[in-house]
Amino acid sequence: MTSTLWILTQGAAVSLFLAFVGAIGGTAFALLLNVAAFSKIGLLRGFYHTYIYFARGIPLLVQALLIFYALPAFGILIGPLTAGGLVLTLYIGAMFAEVFRGGVLAIPRTLWDSTRSLGLPPASVLRKVVVPLVLRYTLPSYINVCVLTIKASSVLSVISVWELTLAAREIVERTLDVFPVMIAASCFYFVMCFSIDRLGRHVEHRLALKGFSGERP
Amino acid sequence: MTFLDWFAMHGPSYLDGLAQTVFVALWASLGALLLGIALTLLRLAGGHWGAAFVGGYVQVLRNIPVLLPIYLIYFGLPTLGLFWSAVVCGGIALIMQNAAFITEIFRGSIKAIDRVQFDATRSLGLSPWTTFRRVTLPQLLVYSLPALRNQAVLLLKDTSLLSVITVAEVTMQAKVLTERTASAYHAFLVAAILYLAIVALSEMAFRIAERRVRWR
Amino acid sequence: MIEIRGLRKSYGEVEVLKGANLDVAEGEVVTLIGRSGCGKTTLLRCIDLLEEYDEGEIKLDGKLLWYTSAADGSRQRLSEPVIRQMRQRMGIVFQQYNLFPHMTALENVCLGPEFSQKISTRESNEFGRELLARVGLADKVLAYPFQLSGGQQQRVAIARALAMRPRVLLLDEITSALDPELVAEVEDVIRSLLSEGIMMVLVTHAIGFAREISNKIAYVSEGRISEIGPPADVLDRSQDPTLKEFLRRLR
Repeated sequence: MTSTLWILTQGAAVSLFLAFVGAIGGTAFALLLNVAAFSKIGLLRGFYHTYIYFARGIPLLVQALLIFYALPAFGILIGPLTAGGLVLTLYIGAMFAEVFRGGVLAIPRTLWDSTRSLGLPPASVLRKVVVPLVLRYTLPSYINVCVLTIKASSVLSVISVWELTLAAREIVERTLDVFPVMIAASCFYFVMCFSIDRLGRHVEHRLALKGFSGERP
Repeated sequence: MTFLDWFAMHGPSYLDGLAQTVFVALWASLGALLLGIALTLLRLAGGHWGAAFVGGYVQVLRNIPVLLPIYLIYFGLPTLGLFWSAVVCGGIALIMQNAAFITEIFRGSIKAIDRVQFDATRSLGLSPWTTFRRVTLPQLLVYSLPALRNQAVLLLKDTSLLSVITVAEVTMQAKVLTERTASAYHAFLVAAILYLAIVALSEMAFRIAERRVRWR
Repeated sequence: MIEIRGLRKSYGEVEVLKGANLDVAEGEVVTLIGRSGCGKTTLLRCIDLLEEYDEGEIKLDGKLLWYTSAADGSRQRLSEPVIRQMRQRMGIVFQQYNLFPHMTALENVCLGPEFSQKISTRESNEFGRELLARVGLADKVLAYPFQLSGGQQQRVAIARALAMRPRVLLLDEITSALDPELVAEVEDVIRSLLSEGIMMVLVTHAIGFAREISNKIAYVSEGRISEIGPPADVLDRSQDPTLKEFLRRLR
């Protein structure tokens, strides 16, 4: 059993790493997408909405399979882990993008009017008004998507990325010891997801006490 | 060859897969909804233990990836002597997982129902079951419609995961076709387009239903 | 002084402003009254180009704002940096949600001077504290909006507008969303500004207050200013039947 647990732990580490890459990459990608989403160029806005439609309408598994099989066909040869990271970035990036976009849209119109009437230059508007407010509005949803990232990493097992789910499956196929192994793997995921969720809530709570979100705590 | 030719040749396989996808999505959604209602009832009327059990159930299933229950049931039931088909195993897993999310959705919606209404039912002397059936449940469902629509679409997309336990839905068909025709990604591209289509259609259908039900 | 000529504005099919004219003399206070939807708020917002108007001219101290008129009669919108400069000469206060919720009162007030007018942090801080003291909130300098009452928030908003040293203050129903007991403190601040000689254009339903502080009251109807004059003339001796009906309803 201990060797099983050790293997599962290693798998969990890989899952965590993948989720981390997906979250960071996804956030960066989402910021880029938001530039397109709010661009004055209609074509860019159209591209944003089209991309979101595709990324959210196609199941993650199918996206993963597409990228996994399509890249070699175009001569791009990358290992499963890199492919997995790429898939996650594209998929989770779309989710973060919608979260951020929702945050920007949540800013009351009079605040936009106020920044305009004060004659604030665009850089200052972004830095002093938009970014702080969007951060405050979107923190809960952001944490939600982070948890989702960990769960999404399990799908990558199907394109032979070795992580916790694949590790568990391999052990089960070898030893037929289904329940203990699967339950153990579930525990690992549960601890990871639950911790991130709790941590997020804790951070939210602490920041609310300082008037972080501009609402009564 | 062009995609149209390709689709014409392999269309039937995809249609079989589509039928399977829609079939599973439908009965799994229904099952998840019913289980969600049952769990909500348990949480409301089951005292401390009931609420604790439901709370625990929801927390566990929301924090694990959906592949694990799928594997657990598919590989695990035979060890208990239950040899059910892959579709049934997958469906059960989807039901259990989605019921957790639906129960959470209901929890939020119940809070939205004005407290005053429950004072009214108590003063009218209505039994808890009648209250639930006539007052809570209808409003619950109406308030939850947008979130339920969202969840149903997620379930529809999750059916693709059943391909890992050899359920012959769209993704599985695409995998088989990929091996058979040695085409790189064409099969999955068509599958992707199919999913986009049924997701869009489902959303439309839901919105039409929503508009007719709301604020009658 | 402000000169507005022939302002027209349509939202799609609906024409809201149908050639409005208005003059505000140096140091004058003008109040716009009228039924909901008559265009008074739109007119106010056009003055600061928070709404783009389709036709017309707005001049401040003789200089044309927002657009240049070309020789062939067509007009061209000025560049963003120029528009930003022009906006700094006006201050506007809205009905609600004026303040940035993530900043203290002082930070709200100093934001404009520091980042638009490039005044040093120390200077703008000092100035900000003075202004907040002027509106009676010296002790709330480090408070966040959620810690302030509606009336206090509106006073901070006024201070923030004043921090830009504007030529004119535009006030869009600033007491309409307040609980009755909080209205007085805001009206007091406006009263205290009368001696400054700053031009003011108000939109309000508080007729009593308007009568007290205005040099002129303008009745906006059907997208135009149909009657304008000293408060006594417009409120007590009006000719326009729709205006008489409107005033009757308010009592």
